[in-house]
Amino acid sequence: MVNHHDTALDNSDKKGITRRRFILGTVIVAIVSAFGSLFSLLKVLAPSKKGGGYVSTIAPGDVLVYASGSKIGTEIKASSMNIGDAELAYPKGKSSNPANLVQLIKLKESDFKSPTDLKLTDKGFVAYSAICTHLGCTVSWVKNNASYTECFCHNSIFNPAEGEKVEGGPAPIPLAQIGVKVTDNDTIIFTSDFTGPIGPQV
Amino acid sequence: MFKWFDERLELKKFKEKFLSKTFPTHPTFLLGEIALFSFITLVVTGIFLGLLYEPSTKMVSLFGAMVPAAYASVVKIDLLPIGMLIRRIHHWSAMIMIAAILAHLMRVYFTSAYRNPREINWFIGLALFGVSLFAAFTGYLLPYSNFSVTATSIGYYIAKSVPWIGNWLSTLLFAGDFPSSETVPRFFFLHVMLIPLILVSLIGLHMVILVKQKHTEPAVNQRNKESQNGKRLIGIPIWPEQAIISIAFYFFLLFVVILIATYIPLNPIETYGPPSPGTPVMRPDWYFLVIYGFLKLIPGDLSFSILGGKITPETIGGVIFPTFLILVFALIPILDRTNDPQHYISNPLHRPFMTAFGITGGVFLTMLVVSGYIDVLKITPRTMIIYVIVATAGTWIITYPLLKLYNKNKNGGKNA
Repeated sequence: MVNHHDTALDNSDKKGITRRRFILGTVIVAIVSAFGSLFSLLKVLAPSKKGGGYVSTIAPGDVLVYASGSKIGTEIKASSMNIGDAELAYPKGKSSNPANLVQLIKLKESDFKSPTDLKLTDKGFVAYSAICTHLGCTVSWVKNNASYTECFCHNSIFNPAEGEKVEGGPAPIPLAQIGVKVTDNDTIIFTSDFTGPIGPQV
Repeated sequence: MFKWFDERLELKKFKEKFLSKTFPTHPTFLLGEIALFSFITLVVTGIFLGLLYEPSTKMVSLFGAMVPAAYASVVKIDLLPIGMLIRRIHHWSAMIMIAAILAHLMRVYFTSAYRNPREINWFIGLALFGVSLFAAFTGYLLPYSNFSVTATSIGYYIAKSVPWIGNWLSTLLFAGDFPSSETVPRFFFLHVMLIPLILVSLIGLHMVILVKQKHTEPAVNQRNKESQNGKRLIGIPIWPEQAIISIAFYFFLLFVVILIATYIPLNPIETYGPPSPGTPVMRPDWYFLVIYGFLKLIPGDLSFSILGGKITPETIGGVIFPTFLILVFALIPILDRTNDPQHYISNPLHRPFMTAFGITGGVFLTMLVVSGYIDVLKITPRTMIIYVIVATAGTWIITYPLLKLYNKNKNGGKNA
């Protein structure tokens, strides 16, 4: 006959949980659960996106107004711009959304080449998103013999006559075009939405 | 008086144990102190600025114009009798602190003071470097000028370009989208509370480990000690010699910083103006120029995705490249390891590979800084990439064989 009682006594040190291991286990469980609960905090600290990225609110028919300079907020007159000029513009009354910022450029009509969409230009006026597709700076206009669009942050260069295709620098895609038209009373209005994605492509 | 304190705090014992700690003397051993002292200046000036700053983007009226409250409060600080000076001292100290950390890091690298048993302090030092950069980055935003918003926006999109977790990471750091009204309070807290706490803890750890492990010593001490059969460090005690040198040095440094801050303007937010649609021509502070230059060199069509994670030029320049740099720095004591503890600094000339590697790395990073100026130099990114490669490879080809030759001529100089 096997004495069950004795066997149990003999193994008590090896098989059963010792006091030390029990305490150690409790401490580990406590630490893990305490830090585990902190993960919910990370969710709180990173609020969910409201809009997420650049979403333009331009509607066809919106009037272009100056976005910078002394005439900020006033309507851009088509006759005030010469060939080779460019202006930063917003749709009137929608300047709080940076995604709406465009660069309005006047070029010689014969200079336009594909992929510029000629249907979206009018009398040499063409408009593109002014938000650099690299890291979101506002692009600038460099005026010389062959004027071009450049982002001064990391020197991405875009060709306005060819759909703002990337001529140099780190920008991954062209600036999207948007349709414009000169109205009878010399103002300029939008006629379409952007032709492609705008803002940093991340 | 002293007796009263001594009876209660055992000051004599403290003096014997800690104040007599030996500082080996070497001019380059002061670089870390410059970083530490700049940090003290940053804390003191930061307290002044923090008391007057308003972390809010609410639009308020300033001289008739509507500007964000943060911007207005900094303009008001600038208008105080010494406000602008304090702000400039703060900014200059930050630049000097990071420069000093880098110089200190170079000193430790070239004298191989990172080896066994000091690897831990090398890692803590790297962490201090990284956290200091992050402190500087969060400080960029606070004046909320056009410059601040543009620079922070670039950082936001770099955070967003991290593969897989970019969206979550950017919302966590910037408290949502940027620009939005939540980012300034979040950055204010990070800049004045969380990051300084981390910095103080890491500095404390760095110092405690330094006291425990003791300094490395100039190699000349080894010969002196062997002749005298001594074991203790050769140098000067912390009190009074080193303390007096340090105090004098701190005030001299403060004098230099105030002099620079008085005459050289920095971050003139009145010139940048409040945030506007246009982006000014601007460059980041010097310590970000490496990444800034690298970002300019990457061709835009270098985009691809792996396992659902999108790798864009921004990811390569802003995430992968800095991570790679950190990895290289972190691997140094792991790859160049010794089994026996090393307590003497080595002559860089006697370590051809490590020294040539360090110089080559330095030239590579300097060339990336130059790349930040390709618009001024009128060089295309493609040409600049060739220059970077040629300069880097050329440095290696020249320095490594030369150092080898030097050691050969010295009849196999000891690889100490």
